[in-house]
Amino acid sequence: MAYTPQFYPGSTSVGINRRKHMSGNLEKLRDIPEADVVAIMGHRAPGADYSSTHPPLKEMGEPDCPIRQIVAPTAGAAAGDRVRYSQWTDSMYFAPSIPYWRSYWGAINCKGCDPGTLSGRQIIEARERDIEAYTKAQYDSEMTDVALCSMRGCTVHGHSLRLEENGMQFDMLARTEMGKDGNVYGVKDQVGIPLDKKVNLGKPMSEAEAKKRTTIFRVDGVQMCGTVGARKYDEAVEALHHMWELRSKWGYRPE
Amino acid sequence: MVTASDTESIQVEVVPGRYLMPATAQKLLNEIYGNGGIVRMTIHGPNLPRSVPYGPGKGAPIAENRDLLIEIGGQAFELFVKVGRVRLELESEKFLPGLKAACERALPNISCSIKKGKFFHTRPTISDYAKFGKVEDERILGLIDPKAKKERMAILSEVGVTIEDKEER
Repeated sequence: MAYTPQFYPGSTSVGINRRKHMSGNLEKLRDIPEADVVAIMGHRAPGADYSSTHPPLKEMGEPDCPIRQIVAPTAGAAAGDRVRYSQWTDSMYFAPSIPYWRSYWGAINCKGCDPGTLSGRQIIEARERDIEAYTKAQYDSEMTDVALCSMRGCTVHGHSLRLEENGMQFDMLARTEMGKDGNVYGVKDQVGIPLDKKVNLGKPMSEAEAKKRTTIFRVDGVQMCGTVGARKYDEAVEALHHMWELRSKWGYRPE
Repeated sequence: MVTASDTESIQVEVVPGRYLMPATAQKLLNEIYGNGGIVRMTIHGPNLPRSVPYGPGKGAPIAENRDLLIEIGGQAFELFVKVGRVRLELESEKFLPGLKAACERALPNISCSIKKGKFFHTRPTISDYAKFGKVEDERILGLIDPKAKKERMAILSEVGVTIEDKEER
């Protein structure tokens, strides 16, 4: 029987969503043009050449190495692209993806990337043409709600702040705005430089839908323990206790 | 038996569930102002810089954060922060029910918590001393952002409004 990884325990909606994010089996909600994603990332003008740090691997004459023969390079590594980043801030008010889950998604599903999680933001670094593809995948999928998540290369705070009146995550640099037509528009790139034209990111999720798709356990949403008053805790807590016990007593090495 | 005097001033903090747009902030502050009994008031929230403060885009203007003028009690002044909470000192407890009603009128669709407590400090801090030296009028204590390079305060009075600091940081 083929092994199917479980990724995350629990039967709550948050547990199920966490499994979906980690497995990469995500629903596609929108299709933002690649040129618009490139413009918001702000590393190169859409259509411009990729800057490189070394010649393409084929021209370099690589040493005879069994690992290099087994592992096919990503498109960006093969072309010698520079390493670039995309950084996200997700609101703690039921954003679909919370920082750790973007990292798990990246580490499990994206080849040749370096995810990093901080308290209120999440960054992925990879070769430029790879990170563009990974960023587009994040934008298009249910990992992102355009009102509660945004790309912020600097001045990132917003994760733990109250929302704006119109339901948008607070952004000091006003990189996104709610249009009169109810769509969210990207007006600046991730470091706050105005874009040549506004990017239509589509309609935000309703509050109910964001709560349905979120990966954050909250006392006023879905609790990590599962149903309040149930005789048995959800498996997520039991697994956590189990890991804590193994780690505390045996340093993760039960022998 | 000792009972709390209803003529002593009280301090109150109004915390809306969402950050307020300038128009809503103006509505709320005017309702609070109309309720009367205010000894002093300060608004608090995240900074709204006029230009990108750091990073590759440093210096790029942020048009959305400029000229956020609001008018309170007939006096106009510019907002430097996103209004997230309002701290007040009221002349006495009797103005509190009116304050609650004012908040409900101004924010019908936003939840709002009103807490009584102590929100302004009573003794000058080192920062206060560095900025003002010996403080003559103690009502100024607690109205100043200790991290601002200069004091940033709008004083509303009968004769006009004074904005002490327009310098960007």
